[in-house]
Amino acid sequence: MSVPGFHRPATVEEAAKLLACTEGARCLAGGATLVAMMNASLAEPKAIVSLAGIGELSGISVLAGGGLRIGAMTRHRETAEDARLTGTLAVLRDAARQIANPPVRNMGTIGGSIAFADPAADYPPALVAAGAEIEIASASGRRRVAAEAFFVDWYTTALGPGELVSAVLLPPPRPGAGLHKKLARVSGDFAIVSVALSLARQPSGVAARIAIGGCGPKPLHIAEVDAMLTARLGDADTARSAGERLAAASDPVDDVRASADYRRLVIPRLVAAAVAEARTALEAK
Amino acid sequence: MTVALKINGAAKAVEAGLSDTLLTVLRDQCLLTAAKRGCNQGVCGACTVLVDGRPQRACLTLAANCEGATITTLEGLKRDPTMMRLQKTFASLGAVQCGFCTPGILISAHWLLARNPAPAIDEIRAGLSGNLCRCTGYRKIIDAVAAAGRTAAEAGA
Amino acid sequence: MRVEGSFVVSAPRERVFAEITNPALMASCIPGCEAIEVVDPKTYRARILIEVGPIKARFNLVVEVTAEEPPARVLSVTRGEEGTRASVISANSELRLEPTAEGATTVHYLSEVSVTGRLGKFGLGVMKKKAEALGAKFAETFRGKIEVAAVP
Repeated sequence: MSVPGFHRPATVEEAAKLLACTEGARCLAGGATLVAMMNASLAEPKAIVSLAGIGELSGISVLAGGGLRIGAMTRHRETAEDARLTGTLAVLRDAARQIANPPVRNMGTIGGSIAFADPAADYPPALVAAGAEIEIASASGRRRVAAEAFFVDWYTTALGPGELVSAVLLPPPRPGAGLHKKLARVSGDFAIVSVALSLARQPSGVAARIAIGGCGPKPLHIAEVDAMLTARLGDADTARSAGERLAAASDPVDDVRASADYRRLVIPRLVAAAVAEARTALEAK
Repeated sequence: MTVALKINGAAKAVEAGLSDTLLTVLRDQCLLTAAKRGCNQGVCGACTVLVDGRPQRACLTLAANCEGATITTLEGLKRDPTMMRLQKTFASLGAVQCGFCTPGILISAHWLLARNPAPAIDEIRAGLSGNLCRCTGYRKIIDAVAAAGRTAAEAGA
Repeated sequence: MRVEGSFVVSAPRERVFAEITNPALMASCIPGCEAIEVVDPKTYRARILIEVGPIKARFNLVVEVTAEEPPARVLSVTRGEEGTRASVISANSELRLEPTAEGATTVHYLSEVSVTGRLGKFGLGVMKKKAEALGAKFAETFRGKIEVAAVP
């Protein structure tokens, strides 16, 4: 078989080498973004490195130590259906379940999604809330970056030339709850605003991690806001202040989905709703 | 620039360039025109086909990336009992107007019933959430999928 | 979309005006500017490469200065395209220079930009953020050149 410019390597290392050495090469994961851009003439890659043939990249596995490894080519459908994403990791499963619709969830992958870093995508804030790390592969080996450091700017990640996402690494799930609350025009659409919240049961109470999506170049996460919510999760005023703090720090766009002003108005309301829902889920356990 | 594909149970060699999608190849070379080009962005669902048994967007699938995959279009499900039941209820309950969305909807509905033989209304809505229809307002489509599920249960299928 | 901003340069207004209307200097300050050509005293051609994530767009622009009021104001009209007319861009811009009490200059820029075609489809929201980021980078580079040169 020979389609000029099309490559289907068998290993991550081969893929990384091809990416580094082939002019104008782009990785093909699920195709949900790249092929859509090609169809719209927004991308015209001279070469394509398909990751479909690389076994190592697919599936979710448990690591020694109890953490989880999600291969970059794992489809949203699989992530949405994996029961091991529970407790403090449930936020990620909830995010995957709300991406697009069933056929697109059969195609889209976590690696492809985060590599494109759409500011309104669902995984970025959920990965920050879940405390994930991103494993990056190149011809010279692997490195890891905290999710928060992986998303750098509008549609820009920490990936350098010749690098690709090989896996998402998660800490072991701990007792708790989490959700990904998304405001969108229709179900499955990109978020106008999204709130990713992960709660961990502690002996002393509950520890919260919250990140906002759709309101800036990358997921919005402020350690002090986590601390505010951790200290007084059940207090409505605290939830409102936390939301207002996040709204003040946000940098939303005006676009076809909503105005920047509207997004800033929504953030505190969505945060309050997310906190209330997550607390209910936690108490129900 | 030949790609070897498996379509509806048969081997088929097609000509494909780097940017040719499965949708283009199915319609233009294989003359399998059930899958339609609606938006070419993966949003509308009119191009939905089965790849390795699961609904995917043919417009977002590169033909070159399909070697080794099993592709099934609506034409390939002509004699499938669930599909025949769906087509019967769609016709009898008025779930088809212009018909443009219908092949994609039937593929999604078929997969839904394969995993959930007697789905509730909200499960049908979720299962078809990736297919847009501009004509019917969806009510009769949902009724037809529900009816196809029911008749299967009644027939003890 | 409206792109606007301002920045302060530690240099007198007359000097800033002279430099900001100097095409060779501007070429070196505009991020992504690959070439500037003076067609006539009021018309410039420019080629600017702008990247947002994986999308690279090379704009071919023609800038026409429609009014010049030294040392205070410049009005210009920009027209251009990228990708062999895959996108079409047009902009009306105003540059205003105001002296500060300390003898420095505040530069105000305001552009009404319209983009149609494939980039228009992508989502004007992030393009505005990109334009603002480019404006900030321009300001930093311009300041760097003018302020350094002023030191004897």
